[in-house]
Amino acid sequence: MKISYNWLKDYVDINIPPEKLAQTLTMAGLSVDSIEKKGDDSVLEIEITSNRPDWLSYIGVAREVAAITGKRLKLSSFVVRRSSFEKKRTPNPEPLTAIKVEDKSLCPRYTARIIRGLKVGESPDWLKKKIESIGLRSVNNVVDVTNFCLFETGEPMHAFDLDTLSGNTIIVRSASKNEKIAAIDGTERALDGSMLVIADSSSPVAIAGVMGGARTEVGRSTKNILLEAAYFDPISVRRTSRKLALSSESSYRFERKVDIDNIDHASGRATQLILEVAGGQAGEFIDIGKAHARKNKIALDNNRLNKILGVKVPAPKVKKILTSLGLKAVGGRFETPAFRQDLKCEIDLVEEVARIYGYNNIPGTLPPVAESNQTLPPELIVDGKIRETLKGLGLSEIITYSLLSKKALLSANIDDKDAVAVKNPLSEEQEIMRPSSIPGMLGVMRYNINRKNGNLKLYELGKVYFKDAGQGFKERRNLAIGLTGEICDGWIAKARRANLFDLKGIFEDLLLSLGISGFSVRETSDPSFSADACAAVEIKGAPLGMIGEIGRDVLKNFDIKDKVYALELDCEALLRFIPLTRRFKEPARYPSALRDISIVIDNDVPNAVIIETVTGSAGELLKSAQLVDRYRGGQIPDGKQSLTYRLEYQNISRTLEDKEVQEAHSRVVSALQEKLGAALR
Amino acid sequence: MKDKIKEIETGALAEIAVVSNGEALEKLRIKYLGRKGLVTELFKKMGEVRPEDKGEIGRLINALKSGVTKAIDEKISGVSAPGDPKKERTDVTLPGISKELGTIHPVSGTIKEICDIFISLGFRVVEGPEIESEHYNFEALNIPLEHPSRDAFDTFYLADKWLLRSHTSPVQARYMEKNKPPLAIVIPGKVYRPDATDASHSFMFHQVEGLAVGPAIRFSDLKGVLTTFAKRMFGEGIKMRFRPSFFPFTEPSAEVDISCILCRGSIEHVHGHGRCSLCGGKGWLEILGAGMVNPKVFKNVGYDPAKVTGFAFGMGVERITILKYGVTDIRMFFENDLRMLKQF
Repeated sequence: MKISYNWLKDYVDINIPPEKLAQTLTMAGLSVDSIEKKGDDSVLEIEITSNRPDWLSYIGVAREVAAITGKRLKLSSFVVRRSSFEKKRTPNPEPLTAIKVEDKSLCPRYTARIIRGLKVGESPDWLKKKIESIGLRSVNNVVDVTNFCLFETGEPMHAFDLDTLSGNTIIVRSASKNEKIAAIDGTERALDGSMLVIADSSSPVAIAGVMGGARTEVGRSTKNILLEAAYFDPISVRRTSRKLALSSESSYRFERKVDIDNIDHASGRATQLILEVAGGQAGEFIDIGKAHARKNKIALDNNRLNKILGVKVPAPKVKKILTSLGLKAVGGRFETPAFRQDLKCEIDLVEEVARIYGYNNIPGTLPPVAESNQTLPPELIVDGKIRETLKGLGLSEIITYSLLSKKALLSANIDDKDAVAVKNPLSEEQEIMRPSSIPGMLGVMRYNINRKNGNLKLYELGKVYFKDAGQGFKERRNLAIGLTGEICDGWIAKARRANLFDLKGIFEDLLLSLGISGFSVRETSDPSFSADACAAVEIKGAPLGMIGEIGRDVLKNFDIKDKVYALELDCEALLRFIPLTRRFKEPARYPSALRDISIVIDNDVPNAVIIETVTGSAGELLKSAQLVDRYRGGQIPDGKQSLTYRLEYQNISRTLEDKEVQEAHSRVVSALQEKLGAALR
Repeated sequence: MKDKIKEIETGALAEIAVVSNGEALEKLRIKYLGRKGLVTELFKKMGEVRPEDKGEIGRLINALKSGVTKAIDEKISGVSAPGDPKKERTDVTLPGISKELGTIHPVSGTIKEICDIFISLGFRVVEGPEIESEHYNFEALNIPLEHPSRDAFDTFYLADKWLLRSHTSPVQARYMEKNKPPLAIVIPGKVYRPDATDASHSFMFHQVEGLAVGPAIRFSDLKGVLTTFAKRMFGEGIKMRFRPSFFPFTEPSAEVDISCILCRGSIEHVHGHGRCSLCGGKGWLEILGAGMVNPKVFKNVGYDPAKVTGFAFGMGVERITILKYGVTDIRMFFENDLRMLKQF
């Protein structure tokens, strides 16, 4: 809310400059966002929290300034002298206006003041200046007064042109289904049965608490008015305002509850000012519903206050603070004023004391430690290890949005039938929750490739989301790794294209660093991946994820020309295989023996089958068998490949004998020859 | 013969003494010690020596050989850039062969930093679901339906009563329902709000929430813990202020500011013509919201508000990262430009 420094001075003595006032208000909870100099005035933009509707008025802010600075409020000059206009009242020339409130729960109080014979015209300078000082446009003297009073008192009011109200009637009722209203903003709005309206005998003339209608608007030709001051149910106003996407200074205040006890005063104040600036005579005052504000009596235990704040505020000081805010000490309790409907229980008073005492006057202490030896939960420890390892392996972590468009998902050939849809996205980019991190990864790759960062080793640790038969939704931790472009070895060697085995190597290193030994890959197919290179990753038969080359059609959809290799893992499945503790294994005391074996074999015999054959035939002396070279072409016939495996033999309890190594090795050679048709090179 | 030996020795030592490069020294080695070198030739002439002198002459030639060898070796270690003339000199100014390290995303890095600070203060790190019920996201936290206090929490809905959490606070309620006080937890995670995206708003971002509950947790403890946090995160020199504010789930509530990292809240910048680009001339930067747990929240999770008190706080991780490193646009965190990532 905009508060003019000069205007505010009408209600309270202020002896500090605007900057200092802004600071003081900020430190009391009225956060001043900016100060704008306007001639000899300063306008403070104050952010008012939703619990303090009383601060949405000059008098409310003035009360606070008085409480904080110890200065006096100057409200006496704004007391309405009703007698001044009531006694001049002439007998009604016409029948009294009829007012009917159909639903008292949505409108517990409705007042109407009739003013006749006024002259609508330009506002006097002082009024114009006030209205314009807070950035509003001066409309005419009557409208300006209602606006002025809204800001002064916090009570929204509306003036109808009395002669345009058909049937001389006001009915506060729910709108019926097909009713419409042209509001004063010039837009016609369709109403429905959930909305409260002010109507005359023919149709709605205002959306209650939100906005008046154009048909009954006060204009140049208006002579007689009906001035409405009322209390509308906050939830009803909020619903209507949201449904119509129409928010106003009025609806903003009604939503937050206006001071129902202040209606009389506000109406009187507006009447007095209208008579002053537009002439005319005050007519009848109709007051429907006598609802009053609740005044709570709240006990405050001083010990408890001190215990909550961690500072001793003496009881007299507490009392002084609360009475300065308008509370009354009544028999050991504090009675709240009508304008503080937010004060309901002890903690509300504790907050008020702390606020005015000053948060900065409360010391800083450290609490007793609830539990010592704190650490991270296992999943986060694992996340940390994964990050550390992948960083060491040269991968960069990315974070992409969990929400994406259906289009992006379908571009990656991922079905959206199990994806969770968002009901109220702001754009199609937020339509669904990702069931995979691959589309996000590809998006980041494209973004970087377009910026000449073509060599990418990326990973993302984040959740993926699915529909679930049970609770409806499921979310789980997920790891995605993606590789594209070249692998460089500095200036010493030629850069080469990244390939699937660079990715697999990263995966192997990652598992090793997590203490997992042994996983398997099984050829499979997946719409996102290329049919030539796609495998399911498993540990002890449990599915863990997918690894492979992203399909050409998918890459085309993402406008990526290079090949992309990707891995996606279920981190929760992975977690089950991570050992909690590790044991040291003493290195073998006796030297091992290395034997290389080179074979020529059909291209379609998988490495896994060869390794299986080797380990199956070598016996227990074999410690490891590793492919160290693969060669195709040259002297090797078509359809064949030359493979070299390095076998390490070891006996942990004694020195190996040449003879036993020879025996084992011969078994391997004959197994490869007999079972797989390999030829020795 | 003895004279010959003496002569070669004198000549060799003199020549060795004056050379200044490895190549010349190598030539001398060949001249004296090579296959047809002068010293080697002497050995070949041993046959001409009288038998009775062979012992002595032999010793002298051996001494000559070792003397010349030693002189050359000593010279080598003294002469700069000796080396094998056939071997090319290494250009030590060539760049190292980097195995280019990867990077951890700045948001993950900041989350870890925040959690580590709170762990050291005795807080346990816990997590909770991102897909949340309306109850935990709102009602349990004293944010009633259709109340203006919900305005701060525009929310993505997935289905009736199910939504994407708009803050990490629901995990407070979930944790308290399952655990007895005293407790101290921090909760990192993603949150979602349908805000129009701009340089400082994103519909997805990260928060770290904190909660401490016990028989005697005070507002002063909240101040102490958050001051410790801010000083560790932003430096000992940072100033702090706690401003009264309003959150439905805490009372009293506060917004916490640190002195501007760029202008340090200096008066010239606050009142001067050139307004600080970071704090807009205010001198302060808001970093988090906090407060004492509202007794209604305790009631909602089955705690007795007469027996326990507690504090809670929440901060935006991207905001903290932006302030700490001077990142200019929140969207950069999710664009993942490698040139940005490589700086962390």
